[in-house]
Amino acid sequence: MLQAIGLSKSYGAQTALDGLNLEVKPGEIFCLLGANGAGKTTTINLFLNFIEPTSGLAKINGLDVASDALETKKYIAYIPEQVSLYKNLTGLENLDYFATLASGAAVEKPRLVGYLREVDLPSGAEDRKVSTYSKGMRQKIVIAIAMAKQAKALLLDEPTSGLDPKASNEFSQLIRKLAGNGTAILMATHDLFRAKEDGSRVGIMRQGRLRQVLNTDEFGHADLERIYLEHMHD
Amino acid sequence: MISQIAKKEMLEMRRDGRFQVASAIVLGLLLVSLGIGWQQYVSVNRQHEMARAETREQWLSQGKKNPHSAAHYGVYAFKPKSPLSLVDRGADQYTGVAVWLEAHKQNEFKYKPARDANTLARFGDLTASSVLQLLVPLLIILMSFSSFAGERESGTLRLLLSMGIAREKLALGKALGVAGGLGMLLVPAALIGSAALVLASDSGSFVANLPRLGWMTASYLLYFAAFVGISLTVSALAKSARLALVCLLGFWIFNGLAAPRLFSDVSRTVHRTPSSFAFSQRMDGELKKGFDGEALKKKVMAQYGVTSMEALPVNFLGISLKAGEDHGNEVYDKLYSELWDTFEAQNRLQQQGGVVAPLMAMRSVSMGLSGTDFAQFRDFSVAAEKYRRVLNDAMNDDLKNSPKTEGPYMADEKLWSKVPEFAYVMPEVNVVLGQQAWSLGLLVLWALGATGMAGWAATRRLRAE
Repeated sequence: MLQAIGLSKSYGAQTALDGLNLEVKPGEIFCLLGANGAGKTTTINLFLNFIEPTSGLAKINGLDVASDALETKKYIAYIPEQVSLYKNLTGLENLDYFATLASGAAVEKPRLVGYLREVDLPSGAEDRKVSTYSKGMRQKIVIAIAMAKQAKALLLDEPTSGLDPKASNEFSQLIRKLAGNGTAILMATHDLFRAKEDGSRVGIMRQGRLRQVLNTDEFGHADLERIYLEHMHD
Repeated sequence: MISQIAKKEMLEMRRDGRFQVASAIVLGLLLVSLGIGWQQYVSVNRQHEMARAETREQWLSQGKKNPHSAAHYGVYAFKPKSPLSLVDRGADQYTGVAVWLEAHKQNEFKYKPARDANTLARFGDLTASSVLQLLVPLLIILMSFSSFAGERESGTLRLLLSMGIAREKLALGKALGVAGGLGMLLVPAALIGSAALVLASDSGSFVANLPRLGWMTASYLLYFAAFVGISLTVSALAKSARLALVCLLGFWIFNGLAAPRLFSDVSRTVHRTPSSFAFSQRMDGELKKGFDGEALKKKVMAQYGVTSMEALPVNFLGISLKAGEDHGNEVYDKLYSELWDTFEAQNRLQQQGGVVAPLMAMRSVSMGLSGTDFAQFRDFSVAAEKYRRVLNDAMNDDLKNSPKTEGPYMADEKLWSKVPEFAYVMPEVNVVLGQQAWSLGLLVLWALGATGMAGWAATRRLRAE
């Protein structure tokens, strides 16, 4: 579903991403690990076509994002690290707006409320202004948008940073559910615990290079941390 | 989808306290200024109507008099106020609206409200036109400076662009959102303004002014569209919302305050006008040169085939007065044309300013359509002067053909009523459009250019962060 082929991005002499090859299949959760500046967010921005690759291709559902910018966005949903919504609008109004833009037609209200129940937004919260929401609640709205959009792939940038353990747990349950329904998920994260728990595979990045890819069922929590730190030290 | 974007923009505006306060202020000022304009229009019009009837009545009932004395008695002519002058008072404040038409002299206009105004007037009048030309653009800037830059800063732009929406649709939706927000303010104001127009004018003159009203509405909409385009362009290009606001306020100050000042100073330096004193000095000098009385006598005697003045079958006084008028008219025509041509050259130069500041074009079009610009003042002056000559010629003609009697010749109401009442019809809208073609063209270019730029900036230059 998501495919990077020799994907590179450099700013002048600085290389942000160096020849990334990666494929995330439907139903798979791929976690990108690495320090700040390792190239995780660059990878996501390239899939979103917010920046242009220096070389290589980013493909969504087999289409090159650079040449089919609008078409490829139909298949994806994106959850940024700072989940920002329109503060003066209610959660439901935000969902309505984005869902309408994403699907190109108005979505009826009961269905929207259904999505909000599905992501477990506290009942009654949908009619409050988003300015009163916590990050976890805003994230739920964005996941509801992804559901309304019926996205085939999900791009997540540091989704659990700033969430309390309970909210973080709720969040993983949601994305596992989405993966269970066949959504391909690419998630950039610092959270080794969540990566091991939720991920099907993890990739460790450093200085723009994908150093190692591991299947999460082949090692334990402690192993992951050790391997990760080894990559960071040399 | 475009309408969804516009609707959301308007919803956000409606919930934004700052926008509510700002638009309430602008709407309030607009209504107050329309009210003031309406009250002024109605009262000035009533005064004019009364004065017009009175001056005619006085002329007709001046009793038995020598025709030349009657010409000295004179009449007043009043420049009719167009109902649209309640939107834009234009140059009326400075040019004056009434002129005394008498023998020998082309008088200066009287009743210039600017002359009685105190120094506060330098801050500008509260007229609907100044609200529309200055404050509405400011409101547009406040409504749209953060359209893109603000969404980029808050991060919603990333989410928005990840939805896979075509950027031109996004830009169009946002532009329509601003237009809709503005409409919430301007549509009620326009309805109230139109109601005031209907109330202020009799049905005939309202219908007659509809084309002018239509063109005026269209030109203001072009002006606003230009500002929406400029604001969205800057908002899409600027790195931050704050920077966008600073740039736009800079442009607003240039457009509304600096450019008018600059172009009026430049136009006065390039096309100098004499001081009022120097002008009347020169006028007096030219008039004093007079005409050759002896030569006229010889010419008239030859014309009637007589050898002495006594033998003339006509009253020479009438001929001599007519010759005096003709000489005076020649001088007036020459000097006033020179002066007015200079004013028009100044105006043309100011209109060129519309290339860099849309206000200069808008102001010119608005005054023109309100019938309060200099061109229409000149048109009226020329008509009034023509009438003065008709009146004087009638008097002098009568005098010339008067029977030679011992006592002074007296004419009566029969002669007075032969002179038709002065009636002035404002130029057709086509004439005004011709005069304003350059400024109207500039407004169209500004609107198209600015909205085109906004489309370009939003589709080609808009960064997610």
